[in-house]
Amino acid sequence: MARNWGKKVKQLMTKTMDLPQDVMMDLPRITMIGQLHIYIENHRGLLAFSDSEVRLMLKNGQLLIKGSSFVIKTILPEEIMLEGKIDKVYFINE
Amino acid sequence: MKNQWTNYYTGYVKVKARGKGAERLINMLTRRGLHIWDVKRVGSETLIFHMDFRDIPKLRQVMRKSDCKVKFMQGKGVPFLMKRVMNNSGFLVGLIAFLLCIFVLSNMVWGIEVKDAKPATEHAIRKELDKMGVKIGKVQFFVDDVDTIQRKLSDRIGALTWVGVELKGTTYHFRVVEKRQPKEIEKTSPQNLVASKKAIIAHMFVEKGQSKVNVNDYVGKGQLLVSGLIGKEDKQEIVSAQGVIKGKTWYNAEVKIPMKTKFSVLNGNETNKHYLKMGDFSLPVWGFGDPGYNKQEKETTIRPFHFLQWELPISYKQVTLRSKEDIVRSYTREEAVKEGRKMAKAELNKHLDEEDEIVEEKILHESMENGKVKLSIHYQVIEDIAIGQPIIQGD
Repeated sequence: MARNWGKKVKQLMTKTMDLPQDVMMDLPRITMIGQLHIYIENHRGLLAFSDSEVRLMLKNGQLLIKGSSFVIKTILPEEIMLEGKIDKVYFINE
Repeated sequence: MKNQWTNYYTGYVKVKARGKGAERLINMLTRRGLHIWDVKRVGSETLIFHMDFRDIPKLRQVMRKSDCKVKFMQGKGVPFLMKRVMNNSGFLVGLIAFLLCIFVLSNMVWGIEVKDAKPATEHAIRKELDKMGVKIGKVQFFVDDVDTIQRKLSDRIGALTWVGVELKGTTYHFRVVEKRQPKEIEKTSPQNLVASKKAIIAHMFVEKGQSKVNVNDYVGKGQLLVSGLIGKEDKQEIVSAQGVIKGKTWYNAEVKIPMKTKFSVLNGNETNKHYLKMGDFSLPVWGFGDPGYNKQEKETTIRPFHFLQWELPISYKQVTLRSKEDIVRSYTREEAVKEGRKMAKAELNKHLDEEDEIVEEKILHESMENGKVKLSIHYQVIEDIAIGQPIIQGD
């Protein structure tokens, strides 16, 4: 019950104060440059990585990126920059 | 994100992680603050990634908790490059030795070329150069500089009027002008011979033309000596008058000789200082300290180093300090007179030709004032007074 309350307060604050939602609510911020690069902030770790598929842990659920010839250009605890040919980005909610 | 270009200088490693939890290994590493980049999948269970080589101890700690096997594939960047260079130090030594060889060879004398000289003169020049140490295979720094070579050559070889010395790269070029030029072809245009100054004719030799004066005649300036018009009045012919007419001429000279003269003389003591010059800065290499001369003369020679055809910004500088002394020379009256006569004669000889001779020398007046001896000398000289005067023919 208390967690739900907290969530509601946060949502309210972001709405009323016009703060960016990714900051307040731990949502991923995804930047894509065409099909070449994808830059994800606020991820929670790498689950699977291969040439054609990358699976990232998020706070709620997972992010699945499909494409081909993937290379992780940089990886930091909360940021990742992926290079390759990106075809699809899925949000998987449990 | 971190700037990546510094990685090259700090050094980084390419790592191969093999095992099921390769992704987890990467997560663990990033959470510990390691910088990881260029992650690639090769095969189903293998990842390749790059990391800073200073983070390897941290990787080892993480490894213990992981079930992956890690292999370092390759070290890249400056620290590894240095190590490789050290391992193959032979190449480095070879490279340095090669550059050094070229450097030394670029600073040697590789050729001596003498232009416009007769074989005999060329031989004399080459012999003189040999004596001076200008030889093929010598290092340029131990050879005199261009100006000195030029001066020494023209001093020591009498047959040279002028010698141009030029150093082009590793070759010395000598351009020679010899004293004995082929005689000018004498003018054959119709001419008279006239006197160039007033004189008493002492000796006549007429080659061509009709003489108008006799020995012991007094002639004034511009007077006709030998006419170019020959033959009888009705059948005159114009020729180019030729001949040598020697006349007695007079000169007056005045000289003043101070009884006491101050001179600055080098007394032979000298010190050399050697520097390595880079731009405006001179690094002393040899010869420190002040020799402590009362008066000195300073001479600076700068020789640039060469590499192939380029001049390097580094040059060799030599400073020579020569000790000077002041000397007072004093004459007695007789000595001063003697010296004065010598000076006046030398001065007169400068104006005269080689074939002219001084037949008489007389001191007209001798006086002494303000510590100076004043001489007035009269000379009688026998010289060629004939000069050509073209006959202009009117049609």
